[in-house]
Amino acid sequence: MSQLTREIREAARKLLRAGQVQVVIGFERGSLPMRSRPCFVRCEEDVDRLVWDGFCETDVARYLPKRKEKAAIVAKGCDSRALVELIKENQVVRDQVVIIGVACKGMIDGSRIEAKMGRGSIVEDDETGEKLILKGADSEEVLDRREFLHVRCKACTHPVPALYDLLVGQPGAEAPKDGFSDVEEFGALDQEARWVYLRDEMSKCIRCYACRNACPLCYCPECFVDGSQPQWVGKSTNLADTMVFHLIRAFHLAGRCVGCGACEHACPVGVDIRKLNRKLQKDMKDLFSHEAGLSLEEVCPLATFRADDPGPPMVDP
Amino acid sequence: MPHEDNIIQLPVPARKRIGAVMVVGAGVGGIQAALDAAASGFKVYLVDKRPAIGGKMSQLDKTFPTNDCSMCILSPKFIECATNPNITIITNTKVEGVEGEAGDFDVHLFEEPRYVAEEKCTGCGTCSEYCPVFVPDVYNEGLSKTKCIHVHFPQAVPAKSIVDATRCLFLTRKECQICVPACKNKAIDFHQQPKATTLKVGSLILAPGYEPFDPLTQSQYGYDRFSNIVTSLEFERLISASGPNGGELYRPSDGKVPHKIAWIQCVGSRDESSGCTYCSAVCCMYATKQVILSKEHHPEMEAVVLHNDIRAYGKGFERFYERAKNMAGVRYVWAKAAIVGERAETKNVVLRYRTNGTEVRDEEFDLVVLSVGLHAPEGNRDLAGKLAIQVNQHGFCESPAFSPMETSRAGVFNCGVFHAPMDIPDAVTMASGAASLASQLLWEERGTMVEEKVFPEERDVTGEAPRVGLFVCDCGTNIAKVVDVPRTVEYAKGLPGVVYAAEETFACSVDSVGHIIKTIEKEGLNRVVVAACTPRTHEPVFQNALREAGLNPYLFEFANIREQCSLVHMADKARATQKAKDLLRMAVARATLLSPLYRVSYGVTRSALIIGGGIAGMKAALSLADQGIIVHLIEKGNGLGGLAVKIPVTLEGGDVRRFVEGVIAEVSSNDLIEVMTNAELAEYSGYVGNFTSVVRVGTAGTPREIRHGVTIVATGAEELKPRESYLYGVDDRVKTLLELDEAMEKNADRFKDCNSVVFIQCVGSRDAERPYCSRVCCSHSVKSALKLKELKPEMDVYVIYRDMRTYGLKEDYYKKASDQGVVFIRYEADDKPEIQAVEEDGRAFLRLTATEPILGQRLEIDADMVCVAAASVPPAGNRPLSRLLKVPLNEDGFFMEAHMKLRPVDFATDGIFMCGTAHSPKFIDESIAQAQAAASRAMTVLARKELKAGGPISRVTPAKCSGCGVCRNVCPYQAISAAEDGVSVVNEALCKGCGVCAASCRSGALDLGGVSNNQTWSVIQAL
Amino acid sequence: MESDTWEPKIVAFLCNWCSYAGADLAGTSRIQYPSNMRVVRVPCSGRIDPLFILASLQKGADGVLVSGCHPGECHYLTGNYSARRKFAVLKSLLEYTGLEEGRVQFSWVSASEGARFAKVVEQVTARIKALGPSKKLVKETPGGSIHVAAHPRD
Repeated sequence: MSQLTREIREAARKLLRAGQVQVVIGFERGSLPMRSRPCFVRCEEDVDRLVWDGFCETDVARYLPKRKEKAAIVAKGCDSRALVELIKENQVVRDQVVIIGVACKGMIDGSRIEAKMGRGSIVEDDETGEKLILKGADSEEVLDRREFLHVRCKACTHPVPALYDLLVGQPGAEAPKDGFSDVEEFGALDQEARWVYLRDEMSKCIRCYACRNACPLCYCPECFVDGSQPQWVGKSTNLADTMVFHLIRAFHLAGRCVGCGACEHACPVGVDIRKLNRKLQKDMKDLFSHEAGLSLEEVCPLATFRADDPGPPMVDP
Repeated sequence: MPHEDNIIQLPVPARKRIGAVMVVGAGVGGIQAALDAAASGFKVYLVDKRPAIGGKMSQLDKTFPTNDCSMCILSPKFIECATNPNITIITNTKVEGVEGEAGDFDVHLFEEPRYVAEEKCTGCGTCSEYCPVFVPDVYNEGLSKTKCIHVHFPQAVPAKSIVDATRCLFLTRKECQICVPACKNKAIDFHQQPKATTLKVGSLILAPGYEPFDPLTQSQYGYDRFSNIVTSLEFERLISASGPNGGELYRPSDGKVPHKIAWIQCVGSRDESSGCTYCSAVCCMYATKQVILSKEHHPEMEAVVLHNDIRAYGKGFERFYERAKNMAGVRYVWAKAAIVGERAETKNVVLRYRTNGTEVRDEEFDLVVLSVGLHAPEGNRDLAGKLAIQVNQHGFCESPAFSPMETSRAGVFNCGVFHAPMDIPDAVTMASGAASLASQLLWEERGTMVEEKVFPEERDVTGEAPRVGLFVCDCGTNIAKVVDVPRTVEYAKGLPGVVYAAEETFACSVDSVGHIIKTIEKEGLNRVVVAACTPRTHEPVFQNALREAGLNPYLFEFANIREQCSLVHMADKARATQKAKDLLRMAVARATLLSPLYRVSYGVTRSALIIGGGIAGMKAALSLADQGIIVHLIEKGNGLGGLAVKIPVTLEGGDVRRFVEGVIAEVSSNDLIEVMTNAELAEYSGYVGNFTSVVRVGTAGTPREIRHGVTIVATGAEELKPRESYLYGVDDRVKTLLELDEAMEKNADRFKDCNSVVFIQCVGSRDAERPYCSRVCCSHSVKSALKLKELKPEMDVYVIYRDMRTYGLKEDYYKKASDQGVVFIRYEADDKPEIQAVEEDGRAFLRLTATEPILGQRLEIDADMVCVAAASVPPAGNRPLSRLLKVPLNEDGFFMEAHMKLRPVDFATDGIFMCGTAHSPKFIDESIAQAQAAASRAMTVLARKELKAGGPISRVTPAKCSGCGVCRNVCPYQAISAAEDGVSVVNEALCKGCGVCAASCRSGALDLGGVSNNQTWSVIQAL
Repeated sequence: MESDTWEPKIVAFLCNWCSYAGADLAGTSRIQYPSNMRVVRVPCSGRIDPLFILASLQKGADGVLVSGCHPGECHYLTGNYSARRKFAVLKSLLEYTGLEEGRVQFSWVSASEGARFAKVVEQVTARIKALGPSKKLVKETPGGSIHVAAHPRD
């Protein structure tokens, strides 16, 4: 059992015992290896279900909105940033939540392990420090977990939560700066190449809305895509409709998306959803010096303005 | 909604008064006075000798210091006047005489013939197309031509043609008359005769405006000889987007872009040879504006302003001037320029001026702009004679001290440049103030002469399938000669929902409107589309037709096939017709989804809260109490009077002390005014018509809840204590202006031993910390200098200054001081005078060292006393108050108005107003004008029994709202708040219907009535 | 449709107080400009939801012009400031996806700038003509695109 797991359990036990919260939202081992899943612990007896490993990928912030009881939440850097946004947008009341921040070392991309080890070959996983121990039916392999992190985790700029009440784990060395080289590279492609790439990506979309459902910041009572008067976007998998859906969804997340990757993780067909979000994250930073989820005071760029803002290129005869 | 009827019945005067006001002169001042008086419940006659309203402001390109487009901000006011049923616009008309007395005047009017029947003319412009005679376009200052029969300018109200009688071939030679048959509405009438009429009104407001100085009267300006010398007003037209060159800056001689322009300041101002000794108050700033605009047109352009003192004294002016001065290629040169001549080949103009005291240089310019002063029109004396009122030696209106809007005749008021040269916001302020005085005189007659049109009850169309009626206008031939109207009508008949379509020759004519009303009834229409000109001018006409026919006015949709189709695609009839059909299809698509919108009424608490018991607050209180309004006047300090109690007299000699005491006595004895001293606002909520405040009163801080319909902020300003400047606070021989006033009043004898006094200007103003001008200090120093000379004529008095800003008629006192031997020495911002306390030969004095800028020599002045002209600063309490009221402060800490030009005393939040030095530093007279203006604006709310809210505004669908708050953040009016469950709620009284919230709401919870998501979507689907 | 006679259809969302008034002034001043623009009047440029723009492109508009009051001159105080941020972000996003630069264009036109409005229309129309018919994002409907609309035409 990792030190982090111990610390999380201890914190959870204390909070529940003191009656400070009614529920602790964290992770437990899934029924399959390399699949930790969210769990809701309401009594001390259940505290030992809680674990922490490299597979606690789900953004649990999305379980907080509309919750009537007082909750504690085990939050990675990205979860905490989503929480910051949710608090600012009045979806979560700060006093109603105790944030058990985890200094996150990044989540492991199971698909990369599977690619190396073979799909379904692993029956058990375990982590000690940077070592990831994977057991097959009659084999055992020790890998360096750092080599198998999600791309977004490798590039994570804020592994330590932006907002927490207590912190578990040790903040690591300085986090990388996000240079948005991915956005720049894609932007440097020829216009048609960009279009073809996105067209092909979006053509995969089956309009299941898993991305939206997984997103901690998609909490609208009625999504623009579900309305009928007007029906802005057709519900079929017509490419134009799918494109508009993803464009507007990304736009609606502009200045709010914290880059947790929940959408991408949830997508059953592997659409490169974050392509658009990443571009917007970059623009928010370039145009308005804004990074989502870092401050409770800072207003979302699209909900405010300055007189000397940069505008779009203008027709100016 | 709460409603308290706080009106107290005052004894009714014996004489019958007339609830109507005549405003003479329909420039921006006259327009504002008319709108205020009408909104306060009076019938208004807005009379102008010109063929359209708008005055000089309508000719300006932009306005300083915001560079707002002049016509953009003014033309909505035209429409307001034109559509207000209680304003009658009477153009081409002069006042011939007035009989009677305050409350009951007979005004004799004389109307010149237009030769066009106003009730028939639709302003379509066909007559102009046929007219063969070109005449100089007066609107463009003669820089371009228009037709002899023409509409005064494109946005003119009334939009009626007029014949130039001096050039019309028929009127001069009995030839032509081609326009008569060209007019399909038979509006042209050469039989029209001059008409004399008499109207009864209770009060008059005079706003005849100004004429720019005519440089032809003085040959030294070469205006008659050199083609590349223009006046500043001509320059406005030259750079205006609607001017003769379509906004391209060309010079007159060869139509080339001028690369080097000079502005010569004070042409016809501050100049005895022109007969005008006063300062025209606006030229420094308009020239600065023109410099900035020219640089925007041509960034590489060189601009030279040859000036005397730069008078950037108003709110935001100093920053504007600094901005211009620091632009590359811009030079401000303190010099008097002479026009030497013109280069024969290039037609460039050569100017000669002296720089650095001795050096004389000749410089060549592509274009020279004469910054001409504001003069009283010739007609002022005539008007004054006819009305039996006094004008001063300059031809401007005489007013009693401390009553700037009064004239020498009771019941006749004045505003704008008729009073003295001033800029637009000051004119607008006085206009509102004059309306307040008229309202105070006539308040018992409020509502007696206004008509409220009664419409039939609206038919409920819910559940009905759309039955769209469509009327396509020919606009004589303006539309029909380009768009194939019959085919368009046929096409429209097939559009979904359309049950009726017809062609109209002039849809807006009385006959056609009648036809529309009848058709709505006969065909059972429940939606109406008119395809004609622009909704911006004609929507109200047709909306009223719907109301006459018992339909909700919002069931109407306009298709603009004239301005945005036939007039701009004349050469391609097929495409224009196709476009017209497309626009109709889009309009019908929207129309079928239109739903009725309602305006709900709510009661008004007819009382006011005034914050601040200085002159401004007290005068506003009295203006309101005079009209039966209960006023709660709260003052932070112990007593009333504010800063004015420290000022003995004005520059003009008005006895401030006596005046203030009188006002305090009046306020204290007025039964309708409740004064609370040591009182501060603690809580504030509500909206226009119904505010609730909690005030903490007295040293105990007892909370007091007050309900009121309006709020007026009059928190004043303070004189800076400029510690660490010029030994102030260290040496008691250094005093501020107010301290010197006190010393001169209490201990005049002390000055008998005083041989030398030095004033230092701009202490704490116009610097990095306070980059604004405090406006009053130059005049104050002149006043104090004159007073010192009076106490001891042989005293040496010096004023060390940067620019003497004795603007307007105050200039005469500057000259007087100079004549009396007061020495004025200029200093540069980066070379401030220095002070030293010195003892020599047993005599103690203050030694001032300054650089004399003309010769560059260092001067030493030994003074017995030094007076620092310290800045006027906003009180520290402004910031917390601004947060409580949710109204903004500007970067200097003064309150920020809704619009710098046209809404000088309004906040953007309805129902909250400001006056006095809370707005910016100003003189007592100016504070009084603002106080009465604020009262006038307040009465536009309080005069009503009920206010209307709603109509095309935003609404929330609670089930779709997540409560995220983005709408609350983006709303420019703070009209959206969160209900207890977190869901957004729109305050109908505050929402203006911009729709920014609807465009920002991710979940579609907010939507805008009249431009809903669904309607817009359906328009897009019909593309 | 792609022959020499092809004419783009352009939707213009104009704010009522400045740009729509500027368009009116171009009319009263009889300044001629191409006839491809179909104007949708909105109270303020701040009213324009990005969905309006995308829905127009889906419907087959070959171009979209959005125009409002110059910054600082908004009739609703700050509506165009809010809009400016949205538009900057939207335009950048659309072009990132490979939509042709110029399909969606923005401009500030005041009520007195009739001539400028006409020039804006000319420039925008020329640019979109050069781009050719819009294909990306157009939702092909069974009846074809907007050029054969569901509405009866003669």
